[in-house]
Amino acid sequence: MNKKKRIGSKIFLGIIVLFLYAPIIYTMVFSFNEGKSLTKFSGFSFKWYEKMFSNDTMMEALFYTIIVAILATIISTLVGTVTAIGLSKSRRAIKNVVEQVNQLPIMNPEIVTAIGLLMLFSFIHFEKGFFTMLLAHIMFCIPYVILSVMPKLRTLNPNLAEAAMDLGATPWQALTKVIVPECMPGIISGALIAFTMSFDDFVISYFVTGNGVSNISILVYTESRRINPSINALSTIIVVIITIALLLVNIIPSLASKKKSKVESIKEENIK
Amino acid sequence: MKKKGLALVLMLFVLSALSLCGCGSKEKLKIYLPGEYMSDDLVPNFEKLYDVKVDVELFDSNEMMYTKIMAGDTYDVLIPSDYMIERLIKEDYLQKIDISKITNFSSITPALKEAPYNLFDPDNSYSVPYFWGTVGIIYNTKNVPFEKVQSEEFEIFRDTDFAGKIYFYDSERDAFMIPFKSLGYSMNTSNEDEIMEAYNWLVDVNTTMDPITVTDDVIDGMAQGRKDLAIVYSGDAAYVLSENEDMSYYTPSCGTNVWVDAMVIPKNASNPDLAHKFIDYVISYDVALDNTEAVGYASVNEDVLKTVTAPGGLYDGNEAYLPRTGYEKDEVFNDNEFLRKRLSELWIKAKAAR
Amino acid sequence: MKQFRKMVYPYLVWSTIMIAVPMLLILLYAFTTQGNTVTKFLFTFKNFKRFLTDTTFLNVLYTSLRIAVETTLICIILGYPTAYVIAKFSEKAKLRWVLVITLPTWINMLVRTYAWTGILQDDGVINSFLSIFKIGPIPLIYTDFAVILGMVYNFLPFMIIQIYTSLTKMDYSLKEAANDLGAGPAKTFLKITLPLSMPGVISGITLVFLPAVSSFCIPRMLGGGSYVMVGTIIESQFLTAGDWNFGSAISLIMAIIIMISMYITKKVDKGEKVEGASV
Repeated sequence: MNKKKRIGSKIFLGIIVLFLYAPIIYTMVFSFNEGKSLTKFSGFSFKWYEKMFSNDTMMEALFYTIIVAILATIISTLVGTVTAIGLSKSRRAIKNVVEQVNQLPIMNPEIVTAIGLLMLFSFIHFEKGFFTMLLAHIMFCIPYVILSVMPKLRTLNPNLAEAAMDLGATPWQALTKVIVPECMPGIISGALIAFTMSFDDFVISYFVTGNGVSNISILVYTESRRINPSINALSTIIVVIITIALLLVNIIPSLASKKKSKVESIKEENIK
Repeated sequence: MKKKGLALVLMLFVLSALSLCGCGSKEKLKIYLPGEYMSDDLVPNFEKLYDVKVDVELFDSNEMMYTKIMAGDTYDVLIPSDYMIERLIKEDYLQKIDISKITNFSSITPALKEAPYNLFDPDNSYSVPYFWGTVGIIYNTKNVPFEKVQSEEFEIFRDTDFAGKIYFYDSERDAFMIPFKSLGYSMNTSNEDEIMEAYNWLVDVNTTMDPITVTDDVIDGMAQGRKDLAIVYSGDAAYVLSENEDMSYYTPSCGTNVWVDAMVIPKNASNPDLAHKFIDYVISYDVALDNTEAVGYASVNEDVLKTVTAPGGLYDGNEAYLPRTGYEKDEVFNDNEFLRKRLSELWIKAKAAR
Repeated sequence: MKQFRKMVYPYLVWSTIMIAVPMLLILLYAFTTQGNTVTKFLFTFKNFKRFLTDTTFLNVLYTSLRIAVETTLICIILGYPTAYVIAKFSEKAKLRWVLVITLPTWINMLVRTYAWTGILQDDGVINSFLSIFKIGPIPLIYTDFAVILGMVYNFLPFMIIQIYTSLTKMDYSLKEAANDLGAGPAKTFLKITLPLSMPGVISGITLVFLPAVSSFCIPRMLGGGSYVMVGTIIESQFLTAGDWNFGSAISLIMAIIIMISMYITKKVDKGEKVEGASV
């Protein structure tokens, strides 16, 4: 009975993964397409990769996308987590206010947020460019982080931190050694969502940027008057980079724990 | 672990700060134009020739461009469409172009200096043409006999023989233009009855013809022969015709939209001098030739036109390439705020009528 | 514990400037109109009336809501089991799977949706495959099916991750306790697992339903221009028609509808919580 269940769930998981990766694989295959079409594969060629690398605009857009995404993720995760923890201890009134305000960027159509920010930046005569894009990204990422961390905080045992402080820990220690580790999954998934939102963003970025600062989404949208297969090449490269990053993330912790256990077994030897 | 993280963040800040301070003392030019509308070699060659840096920004619609201009963004060269240029002139966003600085101006094809192509800026005081063309019917000669296209013209898009086999262009201006011309009205009309008649025409199409209403998917779609009929811009048609020999292009006798995209210099341009040089560069023979070969739209340089349409030329025999000229029923779009809003709302309704 | 409250202050300032003020600007535009008279802003309800009294616009609103609801439901149906299965893996495997699920979302949404337009075309992969068996071509693209597929595809990972987060930190000893007390697997699930994972489901719904309602890119690409959503109308008002007042009004209407639906879900959530505690 259990085996059937396990196989069944493995198959189900497999189908979901296939579904999620089908377009990506498709994009990768067609990045090597000789022709321009998205449906007919006419031959194998690297030409779109050549075109992509020699395209300054594309390379710049890639750079800005990554930098903004990394910075926005780091900052919004920090601020978001801190705020979420603070919120969980706040009075009901403040909690409600912040939660309501938080909903605004999430539930507003992106274009509305974009226009609102555009109006704001024009109002205070803040020249549009890299910083406005970054600020906008941080702005819409933080609510997602808060949204991710809050459920974890809700299921968190409220007495743990108190207990820690009773036992002599400083608030800072209680924070970093008790609360934060407990909500780590929420923080991590919040950071992941923030990165995704930023990396992928189009509408908001388009309206609040300027000075030639562009990102991949803007480029794809504006350069797709005819389907531009160089974009496929770009996406494939991104997939490769991210996959390598994933592998590293996986290998390093297991290497670290191997080292740890080595050290521990040496210690044990010495004790003996 | 924490320290490492901090160091990484600092490094990133430094990196981004460095990238922001810009590169050196080269002169800068900022251009803003539609996507996929310029040969990939044009800007790098210009940069090398004049030892400058060019920032290229892309927009996918005139309206999006307008929103940014209105918000105060600065550019040196814009490439909007005729009706948008009319609006920018009206609202005083542009500065006059010093034609004496445009040495290649005389090589612009005469058709562009006459009606209807020059109506939005009669003396080229503010603009220098970039690409031009018409809007027409592209059809699959295997499934749609020429005689039918010739006799029905735009009405073929209501001919239920072809239901489910048509593309329609998703833009209120271009969409409304079709019934306006087909019914014999001006496409710039403000007459409410005419507008409603055109609206009902479109509702008819949407309810009986099952059209696919998209923008640029049409190009690949027709190149792959997925549908039999579509409304396209002449430059896109030229591309499709070169990819798919079953396809043909037709400009109807009831008249159609003829258009010009032109280069303009906004009032707040930081480097108008360099802007002039750029404009002059773009319409020069070699550059214009490369540009029209790469993009597919009709060049504004007379000699280039002669070269590519001559026997053996790249667009020889491609009936979509050279736009029709001097046909009195062809019109250019005017800038009309009332019409703009009205059509926008009606188009959404027509689409939703399915 | 109260010292932690202070941590909220920086964000309060930030959100006032970056979130509240732009919204106020939008409110300003929604309730006014650019009059021709001396006063630039005339207070009026005209914008709202124009939208709410028009059957076509209301139909569009209904379509957007319908599609968003369908998308959200399918995401839950597919997402919950997926999250459940992953939550049972070992710690290492869990993290790996989370990254596997999230990776697709890092690839640009427009590009992935374009890929679907290629896959679903009449001469695309699926139809080419079916033609081997002499079936088809079935119109896949530019249909309801394509739009929902594209939306689910885009939002599913978010739902999975949110539910997974809840399931993962659930106290499994509660489950064991229930089992010891004689509850079967079904009852354990219904009375313990499900209620305790509700916060995750609610977060998931928030991350899916809200953007789905206002989405216009995906419906346009996979459904064609005739797939008019509320987002499409708003976009056209801000960009083509230049009628920022009308556009702002529509956005407000949508925001209010969403606020109401979130309020209802919150009430449900509270109810669930009480139930869970009673076990």
